[in-house]
Amino acid sequence: MYRRLLVFIVFIFFCLLLSPAIALAGGLADRVQEHQLENGLTVLLVERHSSPTVAAYISFRVGAVNEDSQQRGIAHMLEHMLFKGTTTLGTRDFEAELPLLQQIEEAGAKIDHLRRQADVDTDELERLRARLHQLQFEHRELVVKDEFSRIYAEQGGVGFNAFTSKDQTSYLINLPANKLELWAAIESDRLRNAVFREFFTERDVVQEERRRAVDINPGGKLYENMLATAFQVHPYRHPILGWDSDIQGFSLPAMREFFADYYAPVNMIITLVGAFQSADALALIEHYFGDLPSGVKVPAVTDREPKQRGERRIHVNFDAQPRMMVAYHKPTVPHPDDYAFDLLATALSHGRTSRLYQALVVEQQLVTDVGVFRAPGSRYDNLLVFSLLPRRDVALKDVKTALEAELQRLLSEPLTAEEIDKARRQITTSLLRGMRTNSGLARMLSTYQIIGDWQYLIEYEDRLDAVNPADITRIVTTYLHKDNRTLATLSRGGEQ
Amino acid sequence: MKTTLLYLHVVFLLLLVTAQAAPAQRPDQLTFPPLEMVFPSISEHQTVNGMRIYLKKNDELPLVDLTLMVRGGSIYDPLGKTGLSQWLAQALETGGTVLLTPAQLEEELDRMAAQLSVSSSSYSFQINLSVHQRDLNRAMELLADLLRRPRFDLERVELARQRLIENVHRRNDRPADIASRYLAAAINPGHPFGVEPTLDTLTSLTVDDLVAAHQQYFQPRQIWWGISGAIDEDEILRLIDKHAGDWEGGTSGDYTLPELPDSTTPRITVIDRQLSQTTLLMGHRGISKDNPDLHAVRLVNYLLGGGGFNSRLMREIRSNRGLAYSIYSMLQPGRYLPELFIVSGETKNDGAIEVVRMVREIIEELRVSGASISELESAKKSLLNSFIFAFEDTHAVVTQKMRLQFYAYPDDYLETYQQQIEALTVEDIMRVARDYLQPDQLHIVLVGDSGILQTDLEDEAMVFELVELD
Repeated sequence: MYRRLLVFIVFIFFCLLLSPAIALAGGLADRVQEHQLENGLTVLLVERHSSPTVAAYISFRVGAVNEDSQQRGIAHMLEHMLFKGTTTLGTRDFEAELPLLQQIEEAGAKIDHLRRQADVDTDELERLRARLHQLQFEHRELVVKDEFSRIYAEQGGVGFNAFTSKDQTSYLINLPANKLELWAAIESDRLRNAVFREFFTERDVVQEERRRAVDINPGGKLYENMLATAFQVHPYRHPILGWDSDIQGFSLPAMREFFADYYAPVNMIITLVGAFQSADALALIEHYFGDLPSGVKVPAVTDREPKQRGERRIHVNFDAQPRMMVAYHKPTVPHPDDYAFDLLATALSHGRTSRLYQALVVEQQLVTDVGVFRAPGSRYDNLLVFSLLPRRDVALKDVKTALEAELQRLLSEPLTAEEIDKARRQITTSLLRGMRTNSGLARMLSTYQIIGDWQYLIEYEDRLDAVNPADITRIVTTYLHKDNRTLATLSRGGEQ
Repeated sequence: MKTTLLYLHVVFLLLLVTAQAAPAQRPDQLTFPPLEMVFPSISEHQTVNGMRIYLKKNDELPLVDLTLMVRGGSIYDPLGKTGLSQWLAQALETGGTVLLTPAQLEEELDRMAAQLSVSSSSYSFQINLSVHQRDLNRAMELLADLLRRPRFDLERVELARQRLIENVHRRNDRPADIASRYLAAAINPGHPFGVEPTLDTLTSLTVDDLVAAHQQYFQPRQIWWGISGAIDEDEILRLIDKHAGDWEGGTSGDYTLPELPDSTTPRITVIDRQLSQTTLLMGHRGISKDNPDLHAVRLVNYLLGGGGFNSRLMREIRSNRGLAYSIYSMLQPGRYLPELFIVSGETKNDGAIEVVRMVREIIEELRVSGASISELESAKKSLLNSFIFAFEDTHAVVTQKMRLQFYAYPDDYLETYQQQIEALTVEDIMRVARDYLQPDQLHIVLVGDSGILQTDLEDEAMVFELVELD
């Protein structure tokens, strides 16, 4: 969670990779072992003995999309809290700590309650804040700081981290292969015995995280505004970290409830890639995680985004050079059109011969960069997003017009069979590249399992092969029209 | 027989119950089988015309990765031509070859789904090519062509220049970029390390400059190949010989390093950005890899702010106080000339001055009291036990070996690394902290709401300068 900066950028990265892997079908797919424990826990194992290391992912099929309006940002906050230790780790004496934790919780809750009153008694608020600080100070004496992190580091772990996206929450680490049991012991302990210590301080950390990712970052600010405009109803519209005012409203009881409700084996996937014997690894997982109560599945999101009827625009006034995002609603996997979108996005923006790079960067020289990606998640219908950085002195509206013309050209000069073939090759080769490392492969498998089933990867090549030029023309006509579009711009001052 | 089975069953049940009732052991009290650590072997070659080649095969996936290093880079850009090496890198990447126009070359690479990139850093150009095994022959031919006979297509070269100019226009979009520009200029004024390309330098560069720089640096004796993946070593060597074996070098470039200047007087620089958060960057000159305290310095940095949650900056400023999401220190040893020691973070505007004060105190504390034995042992264990990850990825193994030799690290650098770390003592830590960390010499750049920053600085009677953003 140290480097879990810009959660959404990571997600964009996912989306780019999301077009699955051909070679997997022929090679690595045979080596993926899938198991389900009796309590519903899904286990994916790939033995790979090229180096004595293991990448371990634990993913939960719960993310920001599963939050309701009372708890926006809570999935991410919970992820932070799960780094704070257990009843045995992170404490000098849990018995002695417990009463202090309760007093801190009470004081903090009182402050939160008071802050929400119409006529705030500022003296009382100050008194409580001083008391909270005093309690926190006393509590520090009993805390062993960031002990998970210290133990993993001492045992050679690297990349101890976690991330929350719209669709999932994942906890990851890479370890020397002889330390697999350490991972099982720590991770099962934190699922069973987590203690949410230092909660009120961590809320401030998340507030700083949000400022860093959104407030001072023009790309983050624009992306957030674009999503909140493109989606009116579906929870994909809300930022993963929550809105600014959500963060100071997080409460411990809500956090515990979310944890108890959703962090259960039926929503959980363990993915291990590296040097181990599968039978041993499975026995280890069974031993440490097998008796967790299965829990109930995360309910499906029932909010439906109404069909967009007319273009939406949003402009952000920000002290930075102009930038622009254009987004269109589209269906997600396993809808067949999603595969056509993979090919289209690649043909438009992957590589220097892609259509948009050629037209907008090289020929018309209107922008320095153009990207096309899916956002913000893949478990529910999502967006195809065009991101453009105009050159200085080029008006945003001219960039928009040029983009429109290129989309129009997809109808007058449809993608040729060669262009589609090139895109297919690019997709499959970049997936191969994503599998070079243990952690890359583990991330890919767990992400697909979250969205549906990792076996999508196996069928994927056939699904891509089935897309023909007429499908591309059809999705352009069906989805990439003005009424289905959100245009988000950012610049100094008013809209250009 | 039956009794035995029953007995076994009971024992098994008991074991299960014990295991599940209470974790008798803390996870860090588990014992682990030893890990066998083998230094991966890399095959090294040198061609008759002086190119160095490092190879390692791994055919799990049908991919081949090539990384080339070429001696050259921004340290050699004459002042007034700052940006030349970046421009050369982009011009090579996009400018085609004598045999192929940019469009033809790109078409061929994209059809192969190959990835080609050229970048420049302080002391080298780096070319990365990732290609499917089936396309290796042709890709090698194209790559050799690009190295030896770039076209520098005029339109594309101009486009590449425009791109760098756009970067100048966008240089104030992100506070972190502003802060690092000002810090570098304060510590290394008028030196390639302290300057960035400007509209003036970029517009004054000519295609002749490009051609000359290419001739000067792209010489076989200055070229290093690191190749891994689904390869046959003999085949690779044959291909390199076929496409670049007859490449004769001319006069080598001038590799004199410009001496580092004196830093300006340390001060606090405030730059106004009306944002909800202040970006802070603090730093002074660091060390180079030739410093005998290299490993001790690495450890000190781990303890101070390089060890994530296991470092003091993170523990105090983030975890205890909630003042930052990201706060870290970096003391990356320079390859030849000393580079920077920095502390970097972001915090709410009205927390910035407090964070500055805390950073200084935490550094001072490390200088005065050093580290405890347990803290040192923890840091050492982390560096030693995670060493295996230096060898996890085949291509990283190859490029690491190449890089160490390119920058003339001692031959036994990797082999003695663990020994050197193990030998460090708490006395070393304190001595090195005192020698290399100077809190009163820190240049401090604060980019944020200057109204709040100014008031807080004045309250603390701290001297600062409010500068207009350039």
